[in-house]
Amino acid sequence: MFKKTHPLQSKSEIILRNIVVAAMVIFFSVFLIIPIGIAFAGSFHEWNPLSGTYNFLGLENYKDVFTSGLFGKSMLNTLIFSVVVIIFRVGLGLGIAYAIYSTLIKYKSFFRAVYYMPVVTPMVAVAFVWKFMYNPQIGTINQIFGLDVNWLMNPKTALIAVMLMTIWKDFGYAVVMYMAGLYSLPADALEAAKVDGANAWQTFRYITLPLLKPMTLFVVINSIIAYIQAYVQILIMTEGGPGTATYLASYIIYDEAFVKYNFGYASALSFVLFVITAVFSWLSFRVSGTEE
Amino acid sequence: MKKKMLAAMMAAVLAVTGLAGCGGSTEKKEAEEKTEAKADVPKEPFGDTIKYDLTVEINDGKDISIELWEWGSDDLFQQVIDGYTAIHPNVSIKLVNNPWEDYWTKLPLALDGEKGPAIFNIHNSYHENLINYLAPLDIPLEDLQADFTGVDAHVIDGNVYYIDYGMMTGSVYYNKKMWEEAGLTDEDIPKTWDEMREVAKKLTIKDGDKLIQAGLNFNDDFHQNYLLGLNYQLGENLFQEDGKTPNVNSDAMKQVMQMLVDMYETDGVGSKDFGEKGSDSFGQGQSAMVIQWGHFYNTLNTTWSDIDFGVFEIPTFDGEPYAYNRYNGESTFGVNKNAPADQQAVAQDFVKYFLANDDAQVAFNLAMSTFPAKKSLADNEKILENPSLKVLSEHIDHYIWPGPMPSTVETSLKKAGQDIFFNGVDIETALDEAQENIIKDMKNSSFESVENLYAYAK
Repeated sequence: MFKKTHPLQSKSEIILRNIVVAAMVIFFSVFLIIPIGIAFAGSFHEWNPLSGTYNFLGLENYKDVFTSGLFGKSMLNTLIFSVVVIIFRVGLGLGIAYAIYSTLIKYKSFFRAVYYMPVVTPMVAVAFVWKFMYNPQIGTINQIFGLDVNWLMNPKTALIAVMLMTIWKDFGYAVVMYMAGLYSLPADALEAAKVDGANAWQTFRYITLPLLKPMTLFVVINSIIAYIQAYVQILIMTEGGPGTATYLASYIIYDEAFVKYNFGYASALSFVLFVITAVFSWLSFRVSGTEE
Repeated sequence: MKKKMLAAMMAAVLAVTGLAGCGGSTEKKEAEEKTEAKADVPKEPFGDTIKYDLTVEINDGKDISIELWEWGSDDLFQQVIDGYTAIHPNVSIKLVNNPWEDYWTKLPLALDGEKGPAIFNIHNSYHENLINYLAPLDIPLEDLQADFTGVDAHVIDGNVYYIDYGMMTGSVYYNKKMWEEAGLTDEDIPKTWDEMREVAKKLTIKDGDKLIQAGLNFNDDFHQNYLLGLNYQLGENLFQEDGKTPNVNSDAMKQVMQMLVDMYETDGVGSKDFGEKGSDSFGQGQSAMVIQWGHFYNTLNTTWSDIDFGVFEIPTFDGEPYAYNRYNGESTFGVNKNAPADQQAVAQDFVKYFLANDDAQVAFNLAMSTFPAKKSLADNEKILENPSLKVLSEHIDHYIWPGPMPSTVETSLKKAGQDIFFNGVDIETALDEAQENIIKDMKNSSFESVENLYAYAK
């Protein structure tokens, strides 16, 4: 009874469609497309919107990006940071979600809420609290473990310390995502495995995990995008230090744009990062075989 | 005359306090307060060379409203506004406070349009972002030079857009209790860095290898309070003769950096891991001495009021330095060149009132713990009651301002210091890298050092 011969039949439907589409086009144009265009144009200029400086430089900003030792170092840090945090986020998220999903666990909603709580806490607040916990003199981490480590100012531990905080804050997101994925698994597939005599591990390895592949891809892609943009925890906990030991790619963009007011160079960095993010996302699709 | 001015300001403050206390006070009360303030308005011109003439009508006596933007210290600004509007009741000045974090993005964008504030507070570290929006001060250069020190450093193509009302620099703050417990007296106040290191050793307490009390702590501020200042004691400027090329890998800088490393690693008077910030560690009663700039005096009195502290002038290497230290100026207000002409005229007059008004100058300098740039206030009693200013009074002419340096100078030296202390990089390599970074970051900067304008410049 709801089948229509044409997608839109009435005049009011067409008007509504036009209004909705126009609103979306205006919204994305004003808040996304135009700013991106302005930033792209700015990346070819010496640009400080606060002083009104806007001088054409050609490709000089891009040349500086690719010859900058600090950018290379920060990209390596970003790669290490992203890979480690994503592995733990996915691993912990999947493991804990599977544990909560188990019929042996009661109070599922409680656990789901507890693990999700750090995710909804602002990064700024979490970073400040963890910075305090890492304090070499009065921090709880040294006191609990009886250590004497200057976590955030030791080049060997600083990035690890920031990664640890980020994993703690973010893995709850993967827990909730995987739980949603687990509850939507087709019951007949699991039933069939049981009938065929598959044990718990075999069911997980050959049925559950492959069926969760789209969710894993979703979490990984989202994580790549989020962690390539990570800078708040660096800004609050280490300011890129000691020296430049914990510089991440997005932190350089922040530093260049909002500390040095070098918006042209920051825009060039942003576009390079945009391309890198796109390439990694595409690669993830390729690797998972779900390019379409 | 000064008493009259003080009375006018006090009346204005009382008026503000009274209004604040009453909350929704009646119109009658407001009228009474205003009348009271008007009654104490000075009758004669005041000021030194820059005179403020009270008889000159503003905006032909017609009502006019302007905005004044600042980032803090509302009461302080309101005092000056109230003093001014008591003289000119047809002028209304709305004080707009934007937090520091937002101020420096909001202000230039507002100044770029037609509805920006006519007058605004300036910090010279944002000079390059603001200079294009500033109108030159409508006060003869020679009058400014006659009344204030450091004016020449602010002259751009014959114009002055703002000057310093006060000069801030570093001094040594010491914990008196720790000082006494170490058996030290006023006689032990060090004059040289060698003496300073010996005193710091006496103030250091250890339990085996574990540091319990640091004799001197410069964590997180070594770049601002040591590297960017002690080079002058050794006769080296921060910038080379062209005024643009940094000089941060100079022999003097290396010597200063080496001294800092030796104080921690050889003398053991502190540690890179003992407290994230030296200032906090001092405030928390864990470190006996720190070198901090003037604002620390107020911080101690407000945040760490239980610390009994003293202040002495920064030591020197040989007692006869080229300059004792670097200073930075607290700037006077800026006038928005894009504001309507009638608003600019009020803003110009307000700046003149501020510069001529000794009480406002003293109030601002005490609030910021800056040494007055106004020459006539160098031995002002109230100023010299502040120990952090008194210690500067003898040699204040031997402090040097390099100009409104881009932030990269500080941040690059901070990274260099962290590389040396935490990442095991040698001093020469770290300072060479800082030099390269600063050159790269400043390649498009219009900054030019004004070290050549220092009274004792070589």
